[in-house]
Amino acid sequence: MRYGDFTPFDIVLLLQGLGVSLALFVSTTLIGLVIGTAWAVIRFYRVPVLAQIVAFIAELLKNSPVLVQLFLVFFGLPAFLKINVTPTEAAVITLSGNSAAFIYVIAVSAIESVGRDQIEAARVFGLTRWQILRRVIAPQAAAFAIGPLTGLLVNQLQVTSLISVIGVMDLTKVGNILNLRTLKPFIVWTAVGALYYLTAKLVAYAGGRFEKRLRAHTAWRGL
Amino acid sequence: MKFDLSILAKHIPFLLEGAWLTLQACTLAVIGSLVLGLAVGAMRTSASPLLNRLAAVYVDIFRNIPFIVQLFFFYFGLPEIGIYIDAFTTGVVALSIAGGAFTSDVIRSGILAIDPGVIEAAQVSGLKKSTIFRRIILPIALRASIRPLGSVFVNLILTSSILSTITLNELTGSAKIVASNTFRPFEVYFVLLVAYAALTYTVSILIGMLHRHLNRHQAEGAV
Repeated sequence: MRYGDFTPFDIVLLLQGLGVSLALFVSTTLIGLVIGTAWAVIRFYRVPVLAQIVAFIAELLKNSPVLVQLFLVFFGLPAFLKINVTPTEAAVITLSGNSAAFIYVIAVSAIESVGRDQIEAARVFGLTRWQILRRVIAPQAAAFAIGPLTGLLVNQLQVTSLISVIGVMDLTKVGNILNLRTLKPFIVWTAVGALYYLTAKLVAYAGGRFEKRLRAHTAWRGL
Repeated sequence: MKFDLSILAKHIPFLLEGAWLTLQACTLAVIGSLVLGLAVGAMRTSASPLLNRLAAVYVDIFRNIPFIVQLFFFYFGLPEIGIYIDAFTTGVVALSIAGGAFTSDVIRSGILAIDPGVIEAAQVSGLKKSTIFRRIILPIALRASIRPLGSVFVNLILTSSILSTITLNELTGSAKIVASNTFRPFEVYFVLLVAYAALTYTVSILIGMLHRHLNRHQAEGAV
């Protein structure tokens, strides 16, 4: 007997998949933010050698398919280093690295958007390098970066769908399973697509709200 | 395990076959997405609210749903409604539709950036609407958007690796086969990653040169 019909449990399954996708998206974004910003700071201080290495790695990660990076981490690393890598670990490593590379680019241009004269002025006032970074550059750079960052995050959310290929039970993988069981591709993939769409819209909306808050000090308040 | 690239030597012809398939798929998809992008870009900037709305919905949907979900939708869905086409055609069609959404956005912003005075001048010269679009708007808009179009196309090349999930043995797909034949996944995927990066890096340099060449008569800073 074949169980070809949809059951109420399928909705739970879809939501579970969405939860896995979201959890991976949020965690890899946070890790990527930390790493990417650290790379940008390395470049800001012009740390010799390290800055060049970082630029090279970021360029390599940006210019290669995420799928290949995923295969390299999931199939390549275990064979090469003789370690065990679970699908979820491979997904976290790859997506974090990939996010970091793109966030690095945004962070670099955000830091550069703060005028040199401001940094010079801060230096004249006797602020330390850390204080300049923390009090002068960071707030302005954050307001500058949030727009491109939102665009990137909407993109990265969609990139998470690739991890289904190495067997992580995310939304796309659940869609695949439901598709194979029910043989109703249109309904299944429309539902999966709709869930991704709504999530992407939510991310874009949240980004817009956050941008408004960060830019509140420059907003027009009326006379 | 030692890092040994020499084992790949005898698999190079097979990988090149895959690369050739990738090249074919990408070329066709670039043409497809350019045609689609031009049409949709024109719709999005047209005076008709209906066309405008339609185009906006198309772009919104295909930009916010992961490519792999779109691909599965077409790959599993089309046979359901009686359209039997091979994986290659499905892949090219899906890539073109997804790429068209991004391309149309670039072309739209290229059109919107044109000085309204230029269009008004063409109108008072008595040119037909279609002539204005073909001879005045398109050349200016396309010339200004070579570089952003280039990054859309680079993205298309990277996205084409996802076609390997629908049994199409393009570059990534054939690398998968080589990896499982040689038991050397690390070397295979590392070479693949570098190859993709070198390819897309070269493409973006060429696009940059083309952009500078086509815009050489523009004022300094506008290039």
